Amino acid sequence: MNPFQLNRRNFLYGLGSSLGSVAFSKLLADQTDIRNKPEKTPRAKACIMLFMEGGPSHIDTFDPKPKLDELHLKQFKIESPRFSGMSRGNRFYVKSPYRFKRTGENGIPMCEHFQHLSDPEVADELCVFRGCQVDSVNHPTALYQMNTGNRLGGDPAIGSWVTYGLGSENQNLPGYVVMTELAAPQGGSGNWSNGFLPANFQGTLLRSKGSPILDLNPPSWKSRQHQRANLDVLNQLNRQSLKNHPQHDDLLARMDNYELAFRMQMEVPGVVNIEEEPEAIRSLYGLDRPETSAFARQCLMARKMVEKGVRFVQIFSGGWDSHDFIERAHKKRIQSIDQPIAALIKDLKARGMLDDTLIVWTGEFGRTADNTVRGGETAIGRDHNNKAMNMFFAGGGTRPGIVGATDEIGQTAVENVHPVRDVHVTLLHLLGLDDNKLTYFHGGRFKQLSQFGGNLIDGIIA
Amino acid sequence: MKTATFLTLCLIILASSCLPAAGQTDLNSDRQDELFTLQVLPLLKSKCFGCHGNDPDNLKGEYDLRTRSSALEGGESGGPAIVPGEPDQSPLLEAIRWDGLEMPPKENDRLDEQQIALIERWIESGASWPAESTQAEIRKKQWSSPDPTDGIRVKNSGGLADEWTYRTYPPEDIWAFQPYETTQLPAGHQHPIDAFLQTKLETAKIEMAPRADAATLIRRATYDLTGLPPTPEEVAQFERASRKNQTKAWNDLITRLLAKPQYGERWGQHWLDVVRYADTAGMSNDYERSNAWRYRDYVVRSFNQNKPYNHFIIEQLAADDLVREQEKSEDGKNFNGYTIAPAEAQVATGFLRMGPWEHTAMSPERVSRQNYLDDTVNSIGQAFLSVPLRCCKCHDHKFDPIPTRDYYRFYAALATTQPAEMKAKFLASENRDAFEEERTHVQALLEYATTEQNKLYAKREAAAKKWYEERGIPDQYKPFNERRIQGQQKFFANGEEAQIPPRFIGLTSEEQGVLKVREGETRIWTRRLERFEPLAQSVYYGGDTLLNSRKLRPPNTKNRKLMEQHKTLPLSHIYEGGSVESLGDPVSPGVLSSLQVATYSGNEQEPYSLPQAMDRRRVALARWIAHPENPLTKRSIVNRIWQYHFGKALAGNPNNLGATGKKPTHPDLLNWLADDFVNNGWRIKRLHRLIMTSAAYQASTRHPNAKQLETSDPEGTLWAVFQPRRLSAEEIRDTLLAATGELNLAVGGLPARPEINLEVALAPRMVQFSLAPAYQPSRTPEMRNRRSIYAYRVCGLPNPMMEVFNQPKPEESCELRDSASVSPQVFTLMNSDSVTKRSIAMARRLTADADSIEERVRRGFTLLGLQSPSPATVQLLVDHFEEMKKYHTENQPEPREYPVRLARSVVEEFTGEACHYIERLDIYENYVPDLHPSDVPPETRALADICLLLFNSNEFIFVY
Repeated sequence: MNPFQLNRRNFLYGLGSSLGSVAFSKLLADQTDIRNKPEKTPRAKACIMLFMEGGPSHIDTFDPKPKLDELHLKQFKIESPRFSGMSRGNRFYVKSPYRFKRTGENGIPMCEHFQHLSDPEVADELCVFRGCQVDSVNHPTALYQMNTGNRLGGDPAIGSWVTYGLGSENQNLPGYVVMTELAAPQGGSGNWSNGFLPANFQGTLLRSKGSPILDLNPPSWKSRQHQRANLDVLNQLNRQSLKNHPQHDDLLARMDNYELAFRMQMEVPGVVNIEEEPEAIRSLYGLDRPETSAFARQCLMARKMVEKGVRFVQIFSGGWDSHDFIERAHKKRIQSIDQPIAALIKDLKARGMLDDTLIVWTGEFGRTADNTVRGGETAIGRDHNNKAMNMFFAGGGTRPGIVGATDEIGQTAVENVHPVRDVHVTLLHLLGLDDNKLTYFHGGRFKQLSQFGGNLIDGIIA
Repeated sequence: MKTATFLTLCLIILASSCLPAAGQTDLNSDRQDELFTLQVLPLLKSKCFGCHGNDPDNLKGEYDLRTRSSALEGGESGGPAIVPGEPDQSPLLEAIRWDGLEMPPKENDRLDEQQIALIERWIESGASWPAESTQAEIRKKQWSSPDPTDGIRVKNSGGLADEWTYRTYPPEDIWAFQPYETTQLPAGHQHPIDAFLQTKLETAKIEMAPRADAATLIRRATYDLTGLPPTPEEVAQFERASRKNQTKAWNDLITRLLAKPQYGERWGQHWLDVVRYADTAGMSNDYERSNAWRYRDYVVRSFNQNKPYNHFIIEQLAADDLVREQEKSEDGKNFNGYTIAPAEAQVATGFLRMGPWEHTAMSPERVSRQNYLDDTVNSIGQAFLSVPLRCCKCHDHKFDPIPTRDYYRFYAALATTQPAEMKAKFLASENRDAFEEERTHVQALLEYATTEQNKLYAKREAAAKKWYEERGIPDQYKPFNERRIQGQQKFFANGEEAQIPPRFIGLTSEEQGVLKVREGETRIWTRRLERFEPLAQSVYYGGDTLLNSRKLRPPNTKNRKLMEQHKTLPLSHIYEGGSVESLGDPVSPGVLSSLQVATYSGNEQEPYSLPQAMDRRRVALARWIAHPENPLTKRSIVNRIWQYHFGKALAGNPNNLGATGKKPTHPDLLNWLADDFVNNGWRIKRLHRLIMTSAAYQASTRHPNAKQLETSDPEGTLWAVFQPRRLSAEEIRDTLLAATGELNLAVGGLPARPEINLEVALAPRMVQFSLAPAYQPSRTPEMRNRRSIYAYRVCGLPNPMMEVFNQPKPEESCELRDSASVSPQVFTLMNSDSVTKRSIAMARRLTADADSIEERVRRGFTLLGLQSPSPATVQLLVDHFEEMKKYHTENQPEPREYPVRLARSVVEEFTGEACHYIERLDIYENYVPDLHPSDVPPETRALADICLLLFNSNEFIFVY
């Protein structure tokens, strides 16, 4: 028998790999109603995570450090036994190249290039969190940690956990959708892996060009009717094998998948198609502007998907790794996401969906207050900083305002300091899930997103 | 408030006064004190103190479990938590029962029924809590007792705390660590395996299912041993032979299959899953491991040679030591009594290079070095001992008898191991057929990248010269690298910037981005040329320092400083909390003490120690792992092999035989098999034969009494029927290629690049600093349609078809392939370009092989190794064919064109904007495509639809 009692709670979340996959999917199917009823009062029903890959600088976005204006280009000394490129050679302080202004009633400071997020209507929806620290100073490991809780990778992504915990509201769409900018982020699909969870909880990469899901449709010279005819015959063939192997449960699940796949072919293109959105919406998101159109498209698709019952949408924006030339690089990056995100918040609000939808904006870490010489030049940029960063939340039961603080040069978090696992625990909580109960029995223990448990972060939850 | 305290106090006094009179319990007060000290307190410490004691300033819910009074008093929710003598009145008990309150809150920490009963008993008997001094006495007495009553004590090198060192274990949790007596074979049955299985079947009153039919059995065995289906001729021959003499036919079949080169490919793949084989190193750089294919081929070769498993272990961990030993010995042989070629030895230790690995400018060097060693320690434990060691890096193992001290002794055994690309001559047996073709390809792309890069360099340097001229100092012009150093030095000397032109002078911001891409490409293709050099991803002995990860080579012997570091014996310590900065006790190289298996190099005082010299550490470790008495190693491998045959292991987590892994369902059988394996020379092929000749292996997947089986054996652990399994990703692809006649069965060699989904192949992918080059398939069908084990494995770019059918990701060791059915598999098998092409190729083959449509359909079944179809099924497919023919006559596919140049865009971090460039796809300039749908007439495309249905059928995808 199972190594644990099959009481209600275990039944919900603790279903281990000890049960066969069929038994498992059957249980899932039978228990959808229970699984959809989270432990605590549910707030958010869906999450849109906007991931700025490369590590956006908190010092140049939402956490201004005027002290650095005084220190600019003065020598920075670091005493550390941890010998790396970041502790070697002469280093100097770098001030932010941007001006800041306080926004809305909450007075969240934003750099000058957030022209849309600074609109009070949006700014007062944001909860900026400055207390997070991560374990790793390298991109892929920090990305893995932020996305899966495990910096070594191989574990389920947060989106997989959420879809596992909440189930699907729309069987014809994937529950967890991922969109990338031009290139896949470092670490690739490990960032949206189902890990040890069953394969149907893997993030589905939705492509902006070509077929939205790989091989979703038959080759151009095969019509839908043609495929239907093929499927009908296949069904007859497979029913025959069902007769030959009446004791083999996997067969039915497999046959169901062919029908599910056929329905997905119908439904997915509709969600991806934003051409028919009204002009006002299109321009609200910035679809008509070359610098914002790509991210705008994805934000609008995210809204449509959440409307259709997708649980978790993740959008990656690349190019935030500004070791150098941060003034122009971060400016362009900020401008590419500012309007689409502001539009997404406004749009969700107008549709009454913001309370049900949790928006998360984050990178894998923050950036340093100092930098080093590159190519013989005083490079104006910043290195990786795992001790200080900022992220923001909106909607989904979060409390607008500022939570946590970093020191006067932004080198390390000093108030309301929390490891990534606490962020994960808090995000799950906002989605009505208890990290300690959302477990999966694998490799001899009940695994959870936070790895070993964590704490809720004060101040984020409304 | 005051009143509450007073009340609580009263309660305590009352409770204390009750204590001696706790007449309902059978415990006298000494026994109560013991119960508390030895069982209750340790349980509270491990389960509750995390939140209710360890940090007195931060007690969750104001509840403090450190003293009796505070434990009884309860926390902020008010009222006492424990009422001595009254378990049912004690909220603590409700909490640990998860009845109302839920404590501990984590599923993992939850108390089991025995533990709850223990607390209940303690409260019932009065919640005794003796003074610290009494506790100390009780513990001392208990620890000095040789024969504890509450479990088994395991000798070990010492935990971080005495409580751990002297703790006891439930015997069933440490079964794998304990020495055992060889189990006697149950009498009265022909086959040893069936004899062991029979005992449990009899208890459950279940019969073993009858033998499967010959056609089913040959398909099962052929897939199992070669990963390919039997040919129609082989099936016919086996059916004939089985009618004559069933046993002989079966034995002959096993003999024939074990002798095939495809055997090593199939079973080598299992091992590569465990060791995480990939051709790149993963992480952000995804560095090429240019010569890793040689290790992959070594594994295939070792299986085909039926290399004794103990030799296989020692070679992978320490073949370099074997070579040194051979060189010193008179007969040129190592202690195993054979000679390994030095090049083969270098290749074999590729095992120690399989983990994800990189070092970046952002990481502390000592941490990068530690990451390598941690990964290697864990991987050795997991692969060979089936005990992942990662858990004891920061603390003594929570459940298994492995102290952190042993982790760092093990770690010290590897502290002098350095990963590097080492010289290793090519062996005659290594397949180098593709070298010329591939070198041409790499050189073409290197030349293209260099040319593009140099154009931008030229532009930059022209502008730089102009810059000097404009300042009237043309003679001060220096090339870029000298300028860079000048700038660096000036800055470091006095913090001022040198008077040199801007770094990217003369280049637009777009060009700056493109230059970075071209420099990246140049680096990548230069490195790729290593593939044709006689090198191996290997290791050598050197000090505990970090080498540059871009080019891992033993240091130049002329570099004195580095050589000095390399010759310095490292001082090894426990890293407290896993941190390289917190040095704990010093340790010397050693093995896991709790197994009580002495090393060959140990002595009476230090039986579990390893040599402390720079070299020989690994070979001594490896010999201990491969020791016939090592209770983990032999059961680990036997358990794995059983699992690959049956789809389910005897002990359900082949990567973890520890307390948290699944317990063996037939421990006696596992032990017997392990000893039999060792006593007969550690031969894996012999074990295959032993397993496959059992009735259990030959049983049908259908049981005559299905209902009874479902009730008495829902988990399938009686082995009363054979479990069907889904083909693995590799088997699916290889079978399709075999059935169409396209499969090239060449063995070994450079990674082959199959066609993968074109969108994925050309999609941009970040590696540090730049974009990775596009994935281009091998140029000819012969080169790319190789067996899947030879396909290029890139960590950051899984082949989507393989991924969707659960090919494991190389980050983690895979003990068993997942085979869940998900809808993307449908998209791949119904719609993908590569499966469509196979259907066309198969249709063409069927057209050539047979004349009538009925015969073609039947031939399709036999080529895929399926049972022959009923006349009704044939009719169904023939009718469908006619229908489809009409459709295809009216719908003509477009011919496929392959791009020879690719327009690329990437968001450049210097500018925050996209930059654009052209990538050359040289392979497509001279590409020999597979047969494409547009190349064949409508009838063939209609027949291809039938083939596609067969590829999608349940009968094809499952092995029964």
